[in-house]
Amino acid sequence: MNNSELDAILKRARAPERSEEFFETFPHQVARQLKRTGQQGLPVGPRWFPRLAWGLATAVCVLIGFAIGHWCGRTGAEALESKDVLQNAKFVQETLAMFPNQVCVIMHDQHGLNLVLSNRGDVPASPPIYVRVCDGKNCSSCVTFSGQEVQIAGQELTILSDAAGGVIVTGRRFVWSSNLPHSTGGNLKIETKSLNLTTL
Amino acid sequence: MAHMAPPDDELNWIRNSLAGDTEAFAALVKQYQKMVYALVFRMTGSLDDAEDLAQETFLRAYQQLDSFRGEAKFSTWLCQIAVNLSLNWHAREKRRGDVHSKWAGNSIVENEGNDEFPDELSRRVQDALDRLPAKQRAAIVLTVYENHSHAEAAKLLKCTEATVSWRVFAARQKLKRWLTGISHEQL
Repeated sequence: MNNSELDAILKRARAPERSEEFFETFPHQVARQLKRTGQQGLPVGPRWFPRLAWGLATAVCVLIGFAIGHWCGRTGAEALESKDVLQNAKFVQETLAMFPNQVCVIMHDQHGLNLVLSNRGDVPASPPIYVRVCDGKNCSSCVTFSGQEVQIAGQELTILSDAAGGVIVTGRRFVWSSNLPHSTGGNLKIETKSLNLTTL
Repeated sequence: MAHMAPPDDELNWIRNSLAGDTEAFAALVKQYQKMVYALVFRMTGSLDDAEDLAQETFLRAYQQLDSFRGEAKFSTWLCQIAVNLSLNWHAREKRRGDVHSKWAGNSIVENEGNDEFPDELSRRVQDALDRLPAKQRAAIVLTVYENHSHAEAAKLLKCTEATVSWRVFAARQKLKRWLTGISHEQL
């Protein structure tokens, strides 16, 4: 069964019908309910109160968050890294399982999460590679596979894994390798790791 | 799907409703009641709950009418309220003794006892929808039945477009499995 056949079946299904009388009386029933409960429809308190309560609750949560962050002695960058959804093994595994051999890149940048899929399902099965690139202002991260070209931090990079389990990143003007700690990624700070999803 | 009212009429009904005219709001209810009722029925699978949620949708819409900016269609705005209320309803039901799992197990029995379905196919499809997790069901209802794009559905559900696409994909996989055997003759 393909998607259009499924849609045809779904759309063919009808909800149990209510009588015309039901639909004649329903609007009046709603109107009566509105009149009964007053001008605002439902009996609610002053509108500013819930907003004020939510505002206070949010402020308290933010303060607690800062206190915990300070107490743990963590830097902002570390805190940001911990929020990186691509470090979530379950998320990565489920995404890859959902689109077998189709995922070129799962990208996480300032615009949020983006998924780049191959229409042909020809992405070779290999250990996924996690890449994090910071350009001084923003950091972006992605999960991809060896041989893929990715647009990240405004640059087109090719991600390769080598025989020793290291990761090589090539840009237009540089070659960076995880096995060469002093290699430079131009103005980019690059971190990579091969993901073994069972141990992630 | 509701017949479209002339935009001027709809605008007047909204304006008058904002001024406290409940009869003007009743005209809006009349315009969109079938759309809302069908949507909440697909989300709940229950006639009684659908009726309650449809009513709650309109009451909530009236209460929040001043927040309707006209950036989206009124029907889309209503859709958002109805879907969110349905999702809240699911969460509430789940909290009350984890009805969700009971529901999935008993839904077939429940719908077998419900002889108001117009035909067997409609009953089977609703049984299958009932078995989907609420958020996947909402994604299917919005994209397949209400014809919203994944981007529009994402706005309504306040999540990313990729999330909607994944939910639709996962839901389709399950529905295909559960609805195999429905022949073209039944279509």
